[in-house]
Amino acid sequence: MKLIVVNLFFLPALFISIISFAQVPADSTSTDSVLLKQVEQQMQASATEQPAPTQTRSSLTFNPDIGVIGDFQSSYVSRAKKNFDMYLNETEVSLQAVVDPYIRADFFLTFGRDPLTGKYGAAVEEGYLTTLSLPAKLQLKVGKFREAVGRINPTHPHALPFIDLPNAYVNLFGEEGLNDEGASLSWLMPTKAFYQELIFQTTSGFSESPAFTRSEGNHLVYLAHLKNFFTLSDNATLELGLTGISGPNDSSRTTNIAAGDLTYKWKPVQLNTYHSVTWQSEFYYSNNHNAPGNTINSFGLYSFFQYQLAQRWFLTARYDYAQKPYNKSIREQAYSLTAGWYATEFSKIELEAKTTDDNIQARFYQAWLRWIFVIGAHGAHQY
Amino acid sequence: MKKRLVISISLLFWGFAFANAGTIKVVTTTTDLKSITELIGGNKVSVSSIATGYQNPHFVDPKPSYIINLSNADMFVTLGLDLEIGWSPQLLASSRNTKIQKGSAGYVDASQGIGLYQVPTSANRGEGDIHIFGNPHYWLDPLNGKVIARNIANGLERIDPSDKAMYENNLQAFFNNIDIKMREWQAEMAPFKGSKVIAYHNEWVYFETRFGLKIVDFMEPKPGIPPTPSQLVKVIGEVKANNIKVIISSPYFSTSSSDVVAKQTGIKVLTMATSVGAFPSIKNYFDLFDYDIKQLSAVLK
Repeated sequence: MKLIVVNLFFLPALFISIISFAQVPADSTSTDSVLLKQVEQQMQASATEQPAPTQTRSSLTFNPDIGVIGDFQSSYVSRAKKNFDMYLNETEVSLQAVVDPYIRADFFLTFGRDPLTGKYGAAVEEGYLTTLSLPAKLQLKVGKFREAVGRINPTHPHALPFIDLPNAYVNLFGEEGLNDEGASLSWLMPTKAFYQELIFQTTSGFSESPAFTRSEGNHLVYLAHLKNFFTLSDNATLELGLTGISGPNDSSRTTNIAAGDLTYKWKPVQLNTYHSVTWQSEFYYSNNHNAPGNTINSFGLYSFFQYQLAQRWFLTARYDYAQKPYNKSIREQAYSLTAGWYATEFSKIELEAKTTDDNIQARFYQAWLRWIFVIGAHGAHQY
Repeated sequence: MKKRLVISISLLFWGFAFANAGTIKVVTTTTDLKSITELIGGNKVSVSSIATGYQNPHFVDPKPSYIINLSNADMFVTLGLDLEIGWSPQLLASSRNTKIQKGSAGYVDASQGIGLYQVPTSANRGEGDIHIFGNPHYWLDPLNGKVIARNIANGLERIDPSDKAMYENNLQAFFNNIDIKMREWQAEMAPFKGSKVIAYHNEWVYFETRFGLKIVDFMEPKPGIPPTPSQLVKVIGEVKANNIKVIISSPYFSTSSSDVVAKQTGIKVLTMATSVGAFPSIKNYFDLFDYDIKQLSAVLK
C-alpha cells in the first residue's frame, strides 16, 4: 500500500520530464510549426508542474569518469642472465566524458616501466575527441589514438587474453602498437544485412612502430580499414577485417602493409557468462622499400583459440609465425598457452607460458604472471 | 528451422518497415520495454529489443550488428540505473544517431520516477556488483510497469505529438489492465504472504515487496560473485531452520549449485521468468507475471 502511495507521488514528475528532454532538439529539420507546438505543450505542462521528487542518487558532478588500471607482472626468460623479474608493468589512468552536445573526449594516461632501466615514465597512451553529431553516419576522431589495424592494435593490452603480444605484430608495430597522432574518419555503411564500417586514418608517423617513422618532409601515414561483422546465429558471429597502410619508413622511403583479420565467436545468448569460444587470426604482409630498387616483402600471422571453461576460467592457445621485416630469411615460430582466472569484471589473474624458435638461435622459453586490477569507472570492451 | 524462421521474420520486418514509412522505429534494451512500447504505441511503432528475454541484462555482448537497428531508430528505451552500463553506452555512441542520444527527444530512460529500493549509502565494490542508483530490477513490480509505460508514452508523444490522443488512450488501457490483473495476482499470492524463499541473485526485491515474500538469503554470497561452498553451507542451514520451500533463479544462471542445496534439503529449484520471452509462452508484460505467479504459487502450496 505504501508503495502505491509512493508511486502516485512520483507519477506527476513524469509529465514534467518532457520539459527537460525537449530542450535539445533532436532533429534540426523540425519545422517551426512543430517547434511552436512543443513550446505550447511545455507551457501547458509547466502550468500544472508539481515539485519533482528528490530521488536519492549519488552526487552529480561534471567530473569525467575516472578509472585506474594496475598491471602487475612477474616474468621468466630462459635465455637471459637475469631469469626472473617482477614489476608494476603499467598504470593506466582513464578520463572520459562528453564535452558538449557535439563531441566526447577520452584520455588514457599511462605510467609505464622501462624494462631496461626500471624507471617509470608518463605518457599519453591515447587522447582524442570523437564527434557525436556528424551527418551521413560519419564519425570523426581527432587526437592520438590506437589505429584501426584489425583486432589486437585497437585493444589496450590489459584487455587481451594473453600477456605478451604476437611476434608478427611486434615486428611491425612494436610493443606500443601503431598509436599515432592524426585524424580518423569512420563511415557506418548503409548495408542492412550485416554490419559494415569503413575507416580512413591519416597520422603524422610519430608512433614508435618499427614499420613507420615520422617523415622529414610531408609524407604522412595513411590507413584504410574495412570491418565486416556477420551474425551467423543468435550464438555465433564472424568478423572479417581488411586493412591497408602506407607510410614513410626509416629509409625515407615507403612501407606498405596489407593486413587481414578473421574472428569467429560462439557465445550462447542464454548462458553467455559460463561458456564461450573465440577463434581469432590476423595476418600481416609488409612491403618495405629500403633502398633504390630494393624491397623486402615479409609475412607474419598469429592465430589463437580461446575456450571459456567456466564462469571465471579462460584458456587461450596461440600460434605465431613471423618473418623479420628487415630480413625475411629469419623466421620465428612461437607457441603459447595462457590460463586466465577472471575474478570479477574488475580483476583477473593470467599465467602464460611461451616457447619461441627461430632459424638463427636456439629455442627459448618465457613465462609471465600478471594481475590486472581496476578501480573507478571502466568502459566496455569491443566485442 | 529456427534460423529460417528468424530470417523470414526479419524479412517481414523489413518489408513492413518499408511499407509503413510512417511507423516510429523503436529500439529497446530489453523485451519488457519492447512489450510495453508495443502496447502503448500500437500500430504506430515497430519495436526491436537488443536483449532476449532469457538473457542476463547485465551482460549483453555489444555486438556491432545491434548498431544497424540503432543507427536507424527514432527512439531508444533503456531501463537505466546503470543496469546496461556494460554495453548500451558503447552501442549508443557507435550508432551515430543524434535522435536517440542521452538528452535527445528520442532517448527514454524508463526508470524516471521509479521509487527505488536498495540505494547504497556508499559505493564500494567490495560489496560485489552493487548499483549506485539503487536496485535496477524494478520492472518486476507490475505497478512500476505503469511508470515505465508513462515514460514510454512521454517519449512517443515527444517525437510524434500528432498521435498523442492515441498514446494516452493506450496508456489508460494499460493502466486499467494492470489494475485488473493486479487484483488477480495479489489474490493468488495472498495465501503465501510472508513466505520465506532463497533467491539466486539479488534481482527480486521489487517482486518480493509487491507480493509479500521474504527473501532470506541469496545463492550468490555477494551480487555477481558465484556461489561458494561456505555460502551453500550457510544457505542449507537457513533452509533447514526456516523450512524454506523454494530457491528462485533465472534462465541465465546455472542451477548446479542450487541443485546441491536441493539434494541436501529437498528444497525446490524454480527457474522464474525475469523478462518477456524468457519462455515461449510469455508473449507480453502481463504473461510475465501470469507465468511467475502461477509457478510460484504452485510450489509454495
